[in-house]
Amino acid sequence: MRTPKNFEDGLARLQEILRQMQDETTTLDKSVKLYAEAAQLIAYCNNTLDQAKLQIEEIDAASAKETAGE
Amino acid sequence: MAEYIRVSALNALARRVLETCDPLNNLIVCGEISNFTRHSKSGHLYFTLKDEQSSVKTVMFRDKARLLGFAPQNGMLVLVYGRATLYERDGAFQVYAEYMRPFGAGAAQMAFDALRKKLEAEGLFDPARKRPLPPMPRCIGVVTSKTGAALQDVCHVIGRRWPLTKLLLAPVNVQGLEAEQSILDGIHALDADTRPDLILVTRGGGSKEDLWVFNSERIARAVSQCRKPVVSAVGHEIDYTILDYVADLRAPTPSAAAEVCVPDIRQVRQNLFILRQNIQKNMQSRLQMCYNNLNVLAPQRALAAQKAALEGRAKALQDVAEAVKSANITQMRQKDLALRTAAAMAESLSPYGVLARGYTIVRDKSGHCRSVGQLKSGQCITIQGADAAASCTVNQVDSFSPEETS
Repeated sequence: MRTPKNFEDGLARLQEILRQMQDETTTLDKSVKLYAEAAQLIAYCNNTLDQAKLQIEEIDAASAKETAGE
Repeated sequence: MAEYIRVSALNALARRVLETCDPLNNLIVCGEISNFTRHSKSGHLYFTLKDEQSSVKTVMFRDKARLLGFAPQNGMLVLVYGRATLYERDGAFQVYAEYMRPFGAGAAQMAFDALRKKLEAEGLFDPARKRPLPPMPRCIGVVTSKTGAALQDVCHVIGRRWPLTKLLLAPVNVQGLEAEQSILDGIHALDADTRPDLILVTRGGGSKEDLWVFNSERIARAVSQCRKPVVSAVGHEIDYTILDYVADLRAPTPSAAAEVCVPDIRQVRQNLFILRQNIQKNMQSRLQMCYNNLNVLAPQRALAAQKAALEGRAKALQDVAEAVKSANITQMRQKDLALRTAAAMAESLSPYGVLARGYTIVRDKSGHCRSVGQLKSGQCITIQGADAAASCTVNQVDSFSPEETS
């Protein structure tokens, strides 16, 4: 499994997995692999939610303007 | 001849006197605008300020007029910041305005309505222009005062609802003469930065005058030109600013704005849980389906196996039958041969065989073979030879011992 970039990426992949599993042309073998991947993604997503902490950063609008003006 | 001075000297004198009067150099005048004109070439504003009793000419030069956040018009009550002195050429006492703003509810409303109509006519409030907010922003640019309650509220709500996001704060003055430029810089900086997915412009509650800066035409235009969606939340529920109309989404308060900008983590957890259940159910039903298919196939396979076993046994049975049959034939032949041999043997032992050599068989009347010793005198007997039989009567029977015959 590739590690998702972030929570949204993981969630999107989970939705894609469900879609693929619902597709009747997906083989049982493939479904089992997708299922294993989904289990890891769910763990990742839950973990990300558990550990999330709001970050705050400041930018200096005036200096940004000077830089832009150069 | 009386002493006289020229007009220009008079006006210069009057001007010098006036300029030594400090209050005139830094004043705020309240009055109603009349005879308003904008000079078509220079762009300077000329108008008269008046109250019930008096009036004074006023001029605002182009570079100052350009920064006005509203469109002055006749009948509007304004506060004019500037100085007053004499215009020497005309001997006219007039006010030089540095800055002005509508004064009182009526005037503010007039300015507000005028700007709203103008921007609306340009299509800046068109619902089709409103962009949707990203459902899960990774970064939100916030234009607000670093020390204000609004930032506290926003941090609190977003920290609770969706701590996965990052706040990029552009600290600005939301009050005072620099507020407009400061807010513009903040919006521009956050729009230029690649990180924020959307921009939130907010401040907490305040008086109409406090919130006036958010009715700025320049801010409205900056927001309309933003590449990123903009959410506005200025003051309280009842406060509407021009910014609110031009923003992609207007929230009644800073807290409410924070709510609409991010999803609720509880809802997302719930969705994740449902997603997980659906995936599990899907896997289960998939496996069940496979088992079912297998179960349908199993009897067919059993039947085929039975059939194969049956065929094998039929073959074995046939083999055995053939073996029995062939054994039977062999045995028949053997018995037949034995019979023939026995028959030949019997033939060779037949008493009739010896008749040809001259022996006879003695029979009584009923045809039974009799030995000579058994015969009685007078008995009628038949003597059978090889090719003839003679009827005789026994005259006498004499016994003798076997030794005598040898």
